[in-house]
Amino acid sequence: MRCFWLILLTGVFVLATGATAWAHESQPGTLELRQVSNDRYEVTWRAPIYFGQPHPARIELPGHWNTVVEPTMRLLPDSQVFRRIVTVGGQGVEGSIIRFPGLEHTITDIFVRLNRLDGTTMTAVARPSKPYAQLRGERTWSTTAVEYIGLGFHHILQGVDHLLFVLGLLLIVRGRMLLLKTITAFTIAHSITLAIATLGYAHAPLPPLNAAIALSILFLGPEIVRSWRGETSWTIRAPWVVAFLFGLLHGFGFASGLSTTGMPKAELPLALLFFNVGVELGQLVFVFTALSLVRSFKVLGVRWPRLVEALPGYTVGGLGAYWTIQRTVMLLGYLK
Amino acid sequence: MREISIIRISSFLTVASLILPGPASAHLVTTGMGPVYDGIGHLLLTPEDLVPALALALFAGLRGAVAGRRAMFLLPLAWIMGGVVGSKLNVTSAFPIPALSFLLLGGLIAADLYMPAAAFTLLSILVGLVHGFLNGVALNEGAGLLGLIGITTMLFILVTLVSASVVSLKRPWTRVAVRVAGSWIVATGMLMIGWAMR
Amino acid sequence: MKGEKKRFFQIFLVWTLLFCPVTAFAHVKGGEVIGLISGLKHPISGLDHVLAMIAVGLWGAQLGPPAIWLLPVTLPMVMALGGMLGLMGVPVPSIEIAIAVSAMVLGVMVLIEARPKLWLAVLIVASYAIYHGYAHGTELPPGGNGLLYSIGFVMMTGTLHATGILIGLIHRWLAGRMALRLAGACIAMAGVMFLWRAIL
Repeated sequence: MRCFWLILLTGVFVLATGATAWAHESQPGTLELRQVSNDRYEVTWRAPIYFGQPHPARIELPGHWNTVVEPTMRLLPDSQVFRRIVTVGGQGVEGSIIRFPGLEHTITDIFVRLNRLDGTTMTAVARPSKPYAQLRGERTWSTTAVEYIGLGFHHILQGVDHLLFVLGLLLIVRGRMLLLKTITAFTIAHSITLAIATLGYAHAPLPPLNAAIALSILFLGPEIVRSWRGETSWTIRAPWVVAFLFGLLHGFGFASGLSTTGMPKAELPLALLFFNVGVELGQLVFVFTALSLVRSFKVLGVRWPRLVEALPGYTVGGLGAYWTIQRTVMLLGYLK
Repeated sequence: MREISIIRISSFLTVASLILPGPASAHLVTTGMGPVYDGIGHLLLTPEDLVPALALALFAGLRGAVAGRRAMFLLPLAWIMGGVVGSKLNVTSAFPIPALSFLLLGGLIAADLYMPAAAFTLLSILVGLVHGFLNGVALNEGAGLLGLIGITTMLFILVTLVSASVVSLKRPWTRVAVRVAGSWIVATGMLMIGWAMR
Repeated sequence: MKGEKKRFFQIFLVWTLLFCPVTAFAHVKGGEVIGLISGLKHPISGLDHVLAMIAVGLWGAQLGPPAIWLLPVTLPMVMALGGMLGLMGVPVPSIEIAIAVSAMVLGVMVLIEARPKLWLAVLIVASYAIYHGYAHGTELPPGGNGLLYSIGFVMMTGTLHATGILIGLIHRWLAGRMALRLAGACIAMAGVMFLWRAIL
């Protein structure tokens, strides 16, 4: 009973401090340039809704491009889509730089794709640390690798829900072998579904997926309390099974961060591979840091008050509960 | 015991997620991951602040677990206080103040000097206040208070890990290696003063 | 089990600690990276500096404790003092000759396995270190970051010294002792060559 109230309190606290800003719902934007005739391009700019507001980033086309058909705007549930036709003049689009002023202060990535008449394509990514994209020829595979490893790394470190799930697993697991098994199971499971979703074999609609992910975190809360009390359960004895099953869900979540719109088919497996590598790296950094910190506390002989020791467990349970409620409400709205 | 240790795993896990700046960060301060990560990036990319923090952790480790515990709490605390003050003011100094920290802390490590607990407490607070203040001034136009929180978190993690690893060193030569690192810090501080006076 | 656990932990720590600064430094702005890299490169760009630094390590290993650890602690500081004098523009006479002589003297010390009093050994090494710091610590390429250059310079110099000590550990075997003396002779000869060049 006391635990319930604490969870509720934590939930309210989180609600009050606006931790939702960290919830993992940021969608990437896309910009598509389609060549319609020799020097004419159709420009489609899809700006995602950013925390309930129109996205703060603007698009700034190169100065020598002339808009011939004024932009039209279409409002979708999750984004605004601007479409216009431009002429690019004699020098073509090669080397042109498209800027996104305002992107610096957001956490959105923008995928840029260029489709030429001869069937060739080109892609680029603009991100807050580099709020522009240059249209250029083919890239080496190492450029792609670095880009997607970075993307995966960013994605996991910003995805507090995924990290919270890993934290919950760490709190339950006892023993190094079991830890190794659990983390491996989680990794394998989310790699499988990430690949399935990215390659287009299956698709999970975002609202129910988010609710399910939140539920997976909430699920760990009572198990943590159980392990505190020295009780045992199926989850505590075989956490890798839980890690695997819920890992399948989280993989679909990771896939939402790897938008493949505007990516040539040939580049897809490579992008998938390196995005996953980035995710695993971020996850490893998190786990290693956590374990090293615990060992360090022991070496330094730090004695935490009971409340502080219990805090991580209650964070997992409380945030899990809060997100479950919030996302279920969102899901109901979506179903309507 | 085991359970408690596992619970401890978590104690700062939530914040541990903030450990690294994104590899894609092209700019010194902007990581593209929000102001908290920007602050962390700023700390890791600014040797003027990073080295004194590491140096204090090394020295704390040489002095033992008690000093390590003090440093891991006092330094971040003093740092954030200094940072809040610094973010309100706009002071610049021609003299490289960090160089003095390099000389002082590096010298203490190199000499492996014994220090009473009270003096060490004072030292931690002083280093934290001074560098937090300088950080706050630097972050004025950048990441602001959230950045400061990122820095403080990162400091806590770094000081904890570094001082604990020094405390756990048992063989004599490994402690000498720490002292050598201290002399490197002094050397760098001297060169800093030289650059400033050129 | 206990020892294994500890090693596991240490690997954790080393991994984490290494990972942080490396990823960080890899992305400092272009000019600053140049500072760090040129600082790292500079000590190994001149043979005289490399040889002298390794000779100090060899000699320290021959002398054994406490010199073997006292020298690595004091040397970087003295060298930085020289660098500071150089940066402040304090004139120091005939640097080239002094550096050549220092390589020669240190080589001879290793050759004859000299065992002077500790203070004398430190004094010899320190006087040479001031000259080396003076000559090398100040040569920052334009556009680089002075602090990062200094860090790189100090780190690489220390690494050279450590390399010398590691090589010097062969001193425990008879054949190793002979090899060290031979190396000392080579360094002394190189010093003569440097001196020849400096005077001409």
